[in-house]
Parts: sequence; C-alpha cells; structure tokens
Amino acid sequence: MSEKNPLPFAKTQSKAMLLWVLAVLIGLPLILPSATLASEILIFAMAALACNLLLGYTGLLSFGQGIFFGAGAYCAALLMIHLQWGLFTALLGAAVAGGFLALLVGALAIRRTGIYFVMLTLAFSQMAYFVAYTLSDWTGGDNGLLSVPRPQVRIGDTVLLSLADARAFYGFVAVLFLLIFIGARRVIASPFGSTLMAIRENETRASAIGYDTRHFKILVFVLSGAVTGIAGALYAMLLHFVPLSNIDLAMSENILIMTIVGGTGSLFGSLLGAGSIVLLGDFLSDLWPRWLMLLGVILILVVIFMRGGLWGGLASLFDKVRRSRKASVVNKEHVL
Amino acid sequence: MLNLYLFQILNGLGLGMIYFLIAVGLTIIFGLLNFVNFAHGAFFLLGAYICYTAVSLTGNFWLALLIAPLVVAALAWVIERLLIQRIYHLPHMFQILVTLGIALIIQEASVMIWGPVGKSVAVPELLRGVLVVGDFVYPYYRLFLIVFSGLVGLGLWLLLERTRFGALVRAGSESTETVSLLGTNILRLFSMTFALGVALAGVAGVLFAPLRGAQPFVGPEILGIAFVVVVIGGMGSFSGALVGGLLVGVVQSASLMIYGAMAVVILVRPYGLFGRA
Repeated sequence: MSEKNPLPFAKTQSKAMLLWVLAVLIGLPLILPSATLASEILIFAMAALACNLLLGYTGLLSFGQGIFFGAGAYCAALLMIHLQWGLFTALLGAAVAGGFLALLVGALAIRRTGIYFVMLTLAFSQMAYFVAYTLSDWTGGDNGLLSVPRPQVRIGDTVLLSLADARAFYGFVAVLFLLIFIGARRVIASPFGSTLMAIRENETRASAIGYDTRHFKILVFVLSGAVTGIAGALYAMLLHFVPLSNIDLAMSENILIMTIVGGTGSLFGSLLGAGSIVLLGDFLSDLWPRWLMLLGVILILVVIFMRGGLWGGLASLFDKVRRSRKASVVNKEHVL
Repeated sequence: MLNLYLFQILNGLGLGMIYFLIAVGLTIIFGLLNFVNFAHGAFFLLGAYICYTAVSLTGNFWLALLIAPLVVAALAWVIERLLIQRIYHLPHMFQILVTLGIALIIQEASVMIWGPVGKSVAVPELLRGVLVVGDFVYPYYRLFLIVFSGLVGLGLWLLLERTRFGALVRAGSESTETVSLLGTNILRLFSMTFALGVALAGVAGVLFAPLRGAQPFVGPEILGIAFVVVVIGGMGSFSGALVGGLLVGVVQSASLMIYGAMAVVILVRPYGLFGRA
C-alpha cells in the first residue's frame, strides 16, 4: 500500500496490544455460543494475519492466499490419512507445502510489479483450483476430501491432550495463534520488517539503497504462504473435511476482505477483521444465502469511507478521545 | 487426424475471439484509467444473463445482441459516475478493491434474479446446423463468432485509430494530465471508456451464452482467463489482446495448459508478447 500508515500509535502500545490479544483469545469461547466458531475465527485470523504481512507491511496485494490455504489443508489431510502423520508433523507438512507453493507463485509473480503482480496471483489462484479439481483421485474433486482426522497432541507415545473436544481444539488453535502473532510481531519489528515497510513506501528507493527487494518480497511471500498453509491445515482438522472451495478464488478474496476490513496497518486488525466477517457469515448465511453481496457492499464502504479498516477507525476514535481530554485539561488550566 | 487438429484449432478460434473481446475491453480501460477492472467477469456474466432474458422474452437473439451490451454499458456508466470516480485519487489498489466489491454484488444479484442454476440460450435459428466441406464439418455459429467478433474488433480499431474519440483515448493513455490541460473533459472521457470496455465484455457474454449458457459463477473463471490473455499478449496492446486471445482459445482444450503458457511467457518475455516496458 503506498498510502502512509494511518495509525497514530503503532509502537507505543505494543505490550498493551499483546494483552488485548490475550483478552480476545480467552474471551472468545466465553462469549460465543460454540468453541468451533471461535476456532474458525482464529484460523481465519491467522490467514488474514499472513495476508496482512504482504498487504499491510510490504504493499503486495495477493489474490493467491487461497492457494496456500487450500494446499495446506490438502497436504495435511493427505499426510494424516495416507501416512498417519501426527499433529505437529502434519502441520509442519502444511507449512512446507504453503511455503513452497508461495515460493513458486512468488518467484513468478514478483517478476512483475504493480497491477501485473495482482493479475498473476489471481491467474495462479485459478490454476490451483483447476489442478485440485483435476486431481480428484487425491482431492476428492467436487465432493471434497472426507474423513480428515484430528490427531492428539502427543510427544513420543504419551498423549498429552486429545483434541476431539471442541474446547480443547480451540485451546490448541489459540496457543498456535498466539505464537504466530508474537512471531509476526517479531518479524515486523526486525530489520527485515523495516525493509519490507521501506519496500511498501517506495520500492525504487529501497532498491536504490542497495536492498535486493525481490529477495525480500519472495521471502515474505514464503513466510505468508507457510502461515496460511498452517491455517488451512487447522481448518481441515476443524471441519474433518477439505471442501474444494478451500482452494478457490473466493477463499483468496475472503481472506483479503477480512484483512482489509480489519485494517492493514496492524496485526490486531486482522483478528478484528476475521472475527467480524466470520461472525457476520455465521449469522447471515442461514438467513440469507446471498450474504456475499453484503460483503461486496462492506468492501466498497470500507475503501471509500474507512481505509484504515476497523482497527484504523478504532485507533482514530481513541486518538480523538485522548486529544479532547488533553484539550479540556489545558482549558481548565487556563481558567485557573 | 489432420482434420481433427484443424477442427480443434477452428473451434478454439471461435472461443479465442470471445476472449479477445473480453481482454481488449480490459486493456482499453487499463490503458486510459490505469486500473484493472476486477468486475469485468461480472459484467460478462450480466451480458449473458440479459441475453437470456431478452431471448426468452422476445425470442430474438439479434435483439439481445443489441440490447444486452447497451444495458451493461449503461450500468457501467452509472457505476463509474457514482462510485469509481470518487476513488481515482487513491492508489490503484483501492480501485481494484472497489471493482472486486462490485463484482461480488453483481454476481450475487444475478443469482438472486436468475437463480443458482445456469440458464441455457438456444443458438439462433439462422445459425443452426453445420457447414460441410468434403469430410470437414464446422458449426455455423462458430463461424459466425469468428466473423462477428472480427467485425467488432475492426470497428473498435477504427474507432480508436480514426476518430476524435479514439485519438483522445490514445492520447489520454499516454498522458492523462496533458489531455486534461488541453481542454478535454477527462472525467467524461473516463466514463465513456469504462462503459465502452465493459460493453465489449457484455458483447462477449452474449456471444458466449449459446455456447455454454449463462452460469452464475463463471465470472471469476472468465476474469482469470482474461488476465492470462493480457499477461501473454501484453497489457495495453490491441494486437496483444488479439493474439493472446486466439492463443488461449486454441490451447484451452487442455485447460491447464494456458497457465503453463502464461508461466513460459512471464519467464521469457516478462512484459508479454506485444507489451512495452
């Protein structure tokens, strides 16, 4: 994104932010009617967070996130079904699959910048869908991949935790989300992260300083792909099922819309975005099967009126409150 | 055997001309307005559905071929005026996102109006049957596709190269500011170009309807194919859209191959066969 980061307090409240995330992670299953819904929110928040690394921090608009999500889901599911891989190895496999595909897509798409990059990611997304559709022996095609197991958390032969219960699974997803969230913040705060933001602000300048911007872009793409792959794998475990829709363009669009609605300037925004869109979908999809239309309307409204997304809106609201408080204090001093 | 290949290629040419119409509309819009219309596939879809409605009401395909693109263009004009014109000052990313939103709305609205199951449109009576030359057989409708799209393409070329409007569009593609400073109402030019590009997608939708019918979720697929065409041919190039469209149409029989072709082009000629750096 070439616009300036609209957020007034990106760094000052970093500790507070972590507490907010913790509060949300603990609060979600308490407020929501089902732990499954809460898990779904976190899984998509993971995918949106990975998308945000590209969009918000590097300025890359990718329509290919569904490729990595779907690849992670299929890969983990196939490894668990056919090779009886355990939980962590399957997740690792999904991360590798997502990262590897991101390397391929990234290496090709990044040869072009701007609008072409966007179009290429979309074209590859369509391609991935057709590949999944064609390989129906493996993916189940239109019917989807059925009876995906949800393995236990174990070390060696000792079972630490069974994830069969929805709340236990939520706990596992929450811990994973927290780790990924902290990791992503580390990445952003690192010199690597600053370089990404330099690329976002002005790629020509970043490369003129001497950074090989292509390497940086491919690397962040791989990182994003790996995290998205893990999210896909968790989604497969959540549903016990991998529908073909996991890898289609609509999935890429959904992840993108969650990221944008939440706000591209902050990782917490991705959690907000995923939460609000998943909840909206859960609430509306029974009442009104064409609720995607509303998603289109929301997307347009956010772009026109609230480009910082939900997070940007909240941030500027806080800022206003704080400023008006300061102003009133100053006024009183004057009077006294 | 040779006949089979020839048949495949000729079949592909018909489809390829449709892809050309879609891609050239996308290219014209991009050339002047400098953003990619992600709603292009949705407007294509709308063209096909309006064709279906017009044919089922009047029974006349030719009327549909006239009306549907006009309706689609009028809608595009309104959307451009009300929505897209508000965001020209923003980075291109936001224009893409708004057109993505429009695409979602059009797609879902189409399902609401015409239902989730595709509608089929009959081939017009005049064009039913096949052309037989020796042991070579070719449907009249495919022949018509090639000729008609060719004529539309020719007309478009004349419009762009030989008229004042075309000169303005071309000049605007080089430098919007200069054209604007010279006293042209650039916003009106933008609206007209957007409507024109979208009308081409509408024409393509109508022509596609007798082949595959109007399918509610075909938009993204068409958009993806149009992007492949444009990446292969080179964005902003009329001849690129034509060659890319035909190439993709012919190769389409093995649908995954077009993406392979695209990857090869990116590696060998990153700016497309006819593209400029």
